[in-house]
Amino acid sequence: MGKKHKSISYAKWGYIFILPFFLVYFVCTLIPLFSTFLYSFFDYYTTQSFQTVGPNFVGFDNYIALFTPDSTGAIDLLNYTGNTLLMWVMGAVPQVLFALILALIFTGIRLRIKGQAFFKTVIYMPNLIMASAFSMLFFTLFSPVGPVNQIIEMFGGEAFRFFSDIWATRSIIAFINFLMWFGNTTILLMAGIMGIDQSLFEASSIDGATSAQTFFKITLPLLVPIIVYVLVTALIGGLQMYDVPQIMTNGKGGVDGTAKTLVMQLNNYIGGVTKNYGKAGALSAYIFIITGAMSILVFKITGNNSGKKSKKGGK
Amino acid sequence: MAKLKNLDEPAKVKNYSDFQNEKGAASLLAARIGSYVFLAFVTLLCLFSFYLLIINSTRSNAELQSGFSLLPREHFITNFMNAIKKTTFFLPQGLLNSAIIAASTAILTVYFSAMTAYGIFVYDFKGRKFADKFILLVMMIPTQVSAVGFVQLINQFKLVNTYWPLIIPAIAAPATYFYMKQYIEGALPLEVVEAARVDGSNEFRTFNTICLPMLKPALAVQMIFAFVGSWNNFFTPALVISKADLMTVPIMISIVNSDLHSQAGDLGKLYMYIFISIIPVVIVYICLSKFIIKGVTLGSVKG
Amino acid sequence: MKKRILAAVLATASILGTVAGCASETTSSTAPTDSSTTSSTTEDSKTDESSKEDEKKEEGKVLNIYAWNEEFKGFFEAYYQGLEYEVQDAEGNKSKTKYENAPGLKTLEGITVNWIINPSDGGVYQQKLDAALQGQADAAADDKVDLFLAEADYILKYTGSDYTMDVSTIGVETLDTQYGYTVQAASDANGKVKGVSFQCCPSALIYRRSIAKDVLGTDDPAEVQKKLGTWEDFDKVAAQAKEKGYYMTASYVETFRTFSNNTSSAWVENGALNIDAAIEQWTTQAKNYLDNCYTLPDGVWGDEKNAQMFEEGKTMCFFGPAWYFNFSMGNAQDPDKGCFGDWAITTGPQEHFWGGTWILAATGTDNGTLVADIMKAFTANEEICSKLVEEQKQFTNNMTVNQKYATDANFGNAFLGGQNDIALFVELAKGIKFEHKTVYDQLLSEKYPEYMLDYFQGKVDKDTALANFYKYVKETYADIKTP
Repeated sequence: MGKKHKSISYAKWGYIFILPFFLVYFVCTLIPLFSTFLYSFFDYYTTQSFQTVGPNFVGFDNYIALFTPDSTGAIDLLNYTGNTLLMWVMGAVPQVLFALILALIFTGIRLRIKGQAFFKTVIYMPNLIMASAFSMLFFTLFSPVGPVNQIIEMFGGEAFRFFSDIWATRSIIAFINFLMWFGNTTILLMAGIMGIDQSLFEASSIDGATSAQTFFKITLPLLVPIIVYVLVTALIGGLQMYDVPQIMTNGKGGVDGTAKTLVMQLNNYIGGVTKNYGKAGALSAYIFIITGAMSILVFKITGNNSGKKSKKGGK
Repeated sequence: MAKLKNLDEPAKVKNYSDFQNEKGAASLLAARIGSYVFLAFVTLLCLFSFYLLIINSTRSNAELQSGFSLLPREHFITNFMNAIKKTTFFLPQGLLNSAIIAASTAILTVYFSAMTAYGIFVYDFKGRKFADKFILLVMMIPTQVSAVGFVQLINQFKLVNTYWPLIIPAIAAPATYFYMKQYIEGALPLEVVEAARVDGSNEFRTFNTICLPMLKPALAVQMIFAFVGSWNNFFTPALVISKADLMTVPIMISIVNSDLHSQAGDLGKLYMYIFISIIPVVIVYICLSKFIIKGVTLGSVKG
Repeated sequence: MKKRILAAVLATASILGTVAGCASETTSSTAPTDSSTTSSTTEDSKTDESSKEDEKKEEGKVLNIYAWNEEFKGFFEAYYQGLEYEVQDAEGNKSKTKYENAPGLKTLEGITVNWIINPSDGGVYQQKLDAALQGQADAAADDKVDLFLAEADYILKYTGSDYTMDVSTIGVETLDTQYGYTVQAASDANGKVKGVSFQCCPSALIYRRSIAKDVLGTDDPAEVQKKLGTWEDFDKVAAQAKEKGYYMTASYVETFRTFSNNTSSAWVENGALNIDAAIEQWTTQAKNYLDNCYTLPDGVWGDEKNAQMFEEGKTMCFFGPAWYFNFSMGNAQDPDKGCFGDWAITTGPQEHFWGGTWILAATGTDNGTLVADIMKAFTANEEICSKLVEEQKQFTNNMTVNQKYATDANFGNAFLGGQNDIALFVELAKGIKFEHKTVYDQLLSEKYPEYMLDYFQGKVDKDTALANFYKYVKETYADIKTP
């Protein structure tokens, strides 16, 4: 790539160029990060009467408490992890499907779709609305006196309490996430399709493959790395799901906590007037570890992918 | 430079359609109709929320509370006047504050991310690989993990009721760095940098006047992401700002929202606030959207 | 390419907000001189022309008031500051007027009044206020909190701390024209009074006259009271109302306060969560009401409940104090869809109070005299208190003024079909108890019904619902022991 031409004497410029980033990152994120993890080993919280208890070193007690089953034998943390992943999957599957279809439409030249610029612009727009405004709108839409129920009643049905129903609540949350993010996924997949070596399409058409065959035998397999990449990066975002379920369920997490996410639990620890730094630290560490495991996966996938590319583009 | 031109014209890639077999015209027509139907559906899905917001901003508090309608009402002006009326806070002031913060954030994010990416791509220095891997690693760390400490930091540095804690952290945006680096690898031949050196340009000038212009699409894409993100951010500003004249729009919306159960409560005004707050991002987005589609595509091809 | 992550990062920056208050807790916050606080920096970002040397000798030139909404601000500007305000006459016509005798016209000369209003949502108000109070000692004179507002549900948190001061030291005496419970609520454990309330908030049973006629055959408050005087009667009428196609109440939480104000123990006893027998009683009632569809599974501030206040609503009873009419019954007062005048009040099954705003003086204020004057204006100034009754439909914390209207044969509230509500509130106020309160009441009283709803709706059994409530308590208050 021409690195050989670089002169060592410019090395100091490298440091100068990356200095602001690292300086700011160190101060604004790394120091706070360190203190968060440190607190996870302490009993350290504030009370409603302006008192601070701790920090008293307690070893792994906070972690143990997180994984201690409740009276029914359930481990809340695992339930919340499950809820988070479940609602993410419910949103991510249609998200990828829609994105795939859209990407094929946009890249399928034979279709000669008019107004592509308009459609491409529009699919991105839901992302511009604040998650809280989105949640508010959908809360109104599905409220017992809202339009969805008005329609149900118009057809003789009985008003349905969506937010008193486990799966309805989860579905609405997943749907909002889907709506906010499928545009982004579409753009990523489109990029992936356009990056596929054109000679493959050429060959397949010479061999007389149908569109469907081309799609399933060529496009899809070659898109797998990018689809997986999209999924995994989305998963990292999904693990941090917070605003939508928080607002939709007024912080309670739906019926029996079935829509409660990890970050909502974190919010209970440190989001209110009183703070539990110890427990929040331990929970943060847990979220970090899960996310870390996912990120390793991401690196594996993107690593393979870029390896292929550089071979191809290495002129 | 030839390589750059190619990248700027993704349309050329479309030639592959030439290789596809022309199947029956009928099936093509069916596919086309299907595509349009699907696109129409998706468009409807995307614009529906916007439509609802606009409709709701034309309805009065009582109309909003008593039911739902897809038709606009005549309270747009009333709601608008209520929304821009000065109470403790003043919406136009909030729009200005939000604009200042969002614009600063967007500029700092893209500039320093590009600079960092440039530093790591162009220069060979000890720890270069580590720096790159480090940023990629920290990109995966959930923000909330460092939240507690960040607030303490703000207090220690006495930065409450200032914009610094909202703007400065934008300098270190790992995700933007990652994107920029991907893009620079494809768009910036090192020969260009060396040619500039031969011409006697110093390193900063090379970066500012030669490299940055080449990154325009990527800058635009990341700029709008950063702008939208900052514009819609409620929580960081909410924890830093408490003075009325410094408040951002999301904080104001939250106050209007928590006033709902009071005398001053007015759903129509709330929707008007949301509606007004969306206009600037939509404008910024539409202005930059051609870059978005182009930029994301190009950046991602390398991904 | 990393848009998803970036956005996720941005979205989750939200959690930062969840930390908004930890400002205060950075270091041990028991000491008010804590340096980890917020306010002292604000002078950097603010341009204040007034020179600081002068202020140390006399009182400050800036009055900082912390509040969570604009309610008190409205009263303050109209009756203390003497700014123009809007009044509504009996026909509903609005006109602008000014209060000529406003005390502030003199006392506020050369003083800037700063309102620092933060949303109560997510506890932001208290987090900001706490941070400011904890930074009070270090703050510049013009940035110090002078006055702040607190509600009954968490006032103990502030009166019990050193961040509020004994108002007698700035010359505010508790008058016997104030209701005992309002003084008690503002007192610390040693009986020092830390603030005053401008409201007294006995809560009444508010009913729809037309529905009462249909169900009970009468809309006369005395007659209605006879049929709704006990919970047994109330339950009976609930069944009758249902037969006629009405709801007894529009929210399953509607009656919660009548029970929670009449407990014989507190939410937290000896550091452990405690569910009082009265709360249990409510739980049984709420389950019964939801099972029988006497009420709706909506919160006390819910949209579904509020929609019931329109003319087309099918709900007979609401509960609320004087402030509730104007503050929260906007739908009933709506000119097109409301039912103005179709309402009346009576005692109901149990006396109780709801809400109320207290004005507290922050320790370290540099505007002591002014703060005292404001407190007096809204409790002792009979002219101002009268205006609060007449123009704002408030039930004031001044017995003399209230008595004047209670015995005035010509006084009536048009919203209640001309009924003299003050007369009833005067009676109800006598029965208010401020007992068994804790600093935790706000969230515990709000969340208990929410968590029990799963049980009421048959989604989980009672123990599971309780266990979920305990989990919430444990996650929120590390110092409360839960079963």
